[in-house]
Amino acid sequence: MSRAEKLGLKIASGIVIAFLCIVALAVLYPLVYVLSSAFTPGNSISDMPITPFGKGVTLEHFIHLLSDTNYPLWFGNTLVIAIATSLGTLLVASLGAYVFSRFKFTFKKSMMMALLILQIFPSFVGMVAIYVIINRIGLFDSLWGLVLVYLAGNIPYNTWLVKSYLDNIPRSLDEAARIDGAGNVRIWATIIMPIAKPILIFLGITSFTGPWMDFIFPKMVLRSPEQQTLALGLFSFITDKKNDFTNFAAGSLIVAVPFIIFFAVTQKMLVTSLGGAAVKE
Amino acid sequence: MKRSKVLALSCVFMGLAHLTVLRQRVKGILFALVEIAFIALIPGVIAPKIVQLVTLGSPQPDLPVKLRDNSMFMLIDGITVLAVCLLLAALYYISIKSALLISREIEANGWQKSKGLDLSGTAFPVVALAPTVLLILFFVVVPLVFSACVAFTNYSTPGNIPPANTVDWVGLDNFVHLFGGDATWTGALGRVALWTVTWAFLSTITCYFGGMIMAAILSGSKTKIAPVFRTIFILPYAVPSVVSMLVWKNMLNGAFGVVNRTLMSIGLVSTPIAWLSDPWLAKFTTVMINLWCGFPYFMLLTLGTMTAISSDIFEAARIDGAGSLQIFRRITLPLVIYQTAPLIVMSFTANINNFGAIFFLTGGNPVVADSTVTSAKGTDILVTWIYNLTINLQKYQYASALAVMIFIVLAPFAVFNFRRTKSYKEGEL
Repeated sequence: MSRAEKLGLKIASGIVIAFLCIVALAVLYPLVYVLSSAFTPGNSISDMPITPFGKGVTLEHFIHLLSDTNYPLWFGNTLVIAIATSLGTLLVASLGAYVFSRFKFTFKKSMMMALLILQIFPSFVGMVAIYVIINRIGLFDSLWGLVLVYLAGNIPYNTWLVKSYLDNIPRSLDEAARIDGAGNVRIWATIIMPIAKPILIFLGITSFTGPWMDFIFPKMVLRSPEQQTLALGLFSFITDKKNDFTNFAAGSLIVAVPFIIFFAVTQKMLVTSLGGAAVKE
Repeated sequence: MKRSKVLALSCVFMGLAHLTVLRQRVKGILFALVEIAFIALIPGVIAPKIVQLVTLGSPQPDLPVKLRDNSMFMLIDGITVLAVCLLLAALYYISIKSALLISREIEANGWQKSKGLDLSGTAFPVVALAPTVLLILFFVVVPLVFSACVAFTNYSTPGNIPPANTVDWVGLDNFVHLFGGDATWTGALGRVALWTVTWAFLSTITCYFGGMIMAAILSGSKTKIAPVFRTIFILPYAVPSVVSMLVWKNMLNGAFGVVNRTLMSIGLVSTPIAWLSDPWLAKFTTVMINLWCGFPYFMLLTLGTMTAISSDIFEAARIDGAGSLQIFRRITLPLVIYQTAPLIVMSFTANINNFGAIFFLTGGNPVVADSTVTSAKGTDILVTWIYNLTINLQKYQYASALAVMIFIVLAPFAVFNFRRTKSYKEGEL
C-alpha cells in the first residue's frame, strides 16, 4: 500500500469518526438535557441554562417527587400493572400456543387466522367500547381493568410468536414423555416450557415494558388520584397550565435509567434476536 | 351404529347422541347443560337484549336520568349477547363433530371404557384455550364490532349522549357527512388522511435508511470504539418514547425552548424558529424527531441481519477482488433489504397508528382554520384525531367512522402479514 493510499484511508476513517461523533452528539443532546434538568434548581423551562449543569446541582426535585407528590404511588401502581400483565400474558399465551402447536381440533384454522388478523388493529380503535365494557363489569377506576385490557391486547400477536417457536421443538420429546405416562399439563409445564425459555423471557420483558409507556387506556379507565400510573402522573407535570419541567425530568430519569441499563446490557442479545426474527420470517 | 342416527340425535339437542347411543355420560351432560342454560336464558335475557340492540331504547324524558334507557349499555350488551350466541353455535358444531368422531372410533375399534373428564387428557385443549378465546372474544372482537357499530349511529354531543338521551341508528349518514356532505369535515378528513399516509411513508423511510446507514458505518468502520457508538445509538430505543417525545417538545418550545435559545446565543439565528407552531415546519420536525426515536430499531435489525449473513460469501467476494464498497453494494445491501423488507411494511402500519409520536410531541398542534369545528389540527394523524373526537368533542360517531376507515386501510396489510407467515407458506392454514 502506497503512502497516498494510507493517507486516503486515514482521511476516510477520520470523516467516518467525525460523522459518528456528530450523530452521537445529536442522540445524546436531549438525554443530557433531561439529566441536567433533573438536577437544576428552579422549575420553569425558560430559566433552564443552555449549557448543561450551568446553574449548579440540586436534589430538591427528587426529594419533592418522593415526599410531596404521589410519585411512589404511581410507580407502585405501574409496577403492579406491568407485573400482572406480564405474568398473565406468559400464562395465557404459552398455554394457547402449546395447544395451537400440538393439537388438532375443530375451528383451529379459523382461530389462528382470527388471531393473525386481529393483531394488526390497535386496541384503542375499540377505545370507547372498552370504556363502556370496563364500566359494565365494575372495573372502572381499577388497576385490574387495565390489566385485563392489556392482557387481551397482547394475546393475538404473542400467541403466534410462541406458537412459531414451539413448532420448531421436536415432537418426539413430548411423545416420549407421553409414553412414560405424562399428561398434557405435565408435558406443558416440565418439557415444553423449559425449552421455550428464550422466547418466554423475551415475551415476559416486552409485555412488562408495554404498560410503562401507555397513556390512552389509563387516561380513560383510571380517575382517582391514588389510581394513576407513571405516564399519567409525569404528563400532569407539563400540561398547558403548568410547566414543571424539572420535576418531570427527575421523574422520567428514575424510570428511564433502569430501562437504559437493561438495554445497554442486553444489546448483544437484542441484535441477534431481532436479526434472527427477521431471518426466520 | 348408524352415522345418520348419531348425526340426527346430536343435531336435535346438544349432547343427546353422547348421552344415548355413544355412552359418553359426562360429555353428554355437559353439552346438554350448556344448551339448557342457553334456552333458559332466551326469554329473560337473550331475546330482550337483542330487541334492545335493534331499538337502542326509546327517549324517556319524564323519568329521572338514572332510570332512562342507556343506549350504549344496550349496544354493548346486545353485541355481547350476539357473541355468546356465536360461541354456542360454535360449541354446537363442535359437539356434532365430536359425536361423529366418537362413533367412527367405535366402528373401528369397538367399545372402549369412557375415561370420563380428564383435565390433563382430552379436555386439555379446551381448558387451555378457553382464556385465550374468552379474552379475545370479549375484549378484542366485541370492542371492534362495537366501534364499527357506533359509526352507524348518532352517538355524539350535544343531543345524543346517554344516559340523559338515547342514541339511534342512522345508517350511512356519518360516512355521507364525512365524504362530501359537509365541506369543513370533508376538507379536514382529506387533509388528515393525506398527512397520515405521508407521515407513515416518510417516517418509515427515514428510520429504515437512517438505521441502515448507521449499521453499515458501524460494521464497516475499523475503529475500536465502534461498540461505544453502538451503545450510544441504542439509547433512544431504550428511553420510553413518552419521555423522549415530551422532552423534545420542551426543548423545541418556540419562546423558551433550549434549542432556540442556544441557536440565538451562538448567533446562528436572530429570531426564534417556530419548530412546532408553523404547520409545515412542525410536520418536518415531527418526522425528524421520529427519526431520532426510530432509527435505533432498524440499526439493530440491520446489524442483526448482517451478522446472520454467512462470512463465506464475503470471503469469496474478497478473493475475487471486490472492494469493501463493492461488497456492501452488491452483497450486504441486497441481502439486508431482502430480509428486512417485510418489516418495512409492518413499520408502515405501525406508523399509521403511531399515536405517541404525534400526541406527545405536538399534541396535533398547530391550530389550523377548521380546528375549532373538527378538532383536527395541523399535525394530527387519523388516530390522534380519533382521540380528540372522543375525548374533547365527544363526537363518537365520527371517531368510529374514522376507525372503520383505518380498518379498511389496514386490511390489505393484514392479508400481507398473513401470507408471509410460515404456517401459510407451508400450507398449514
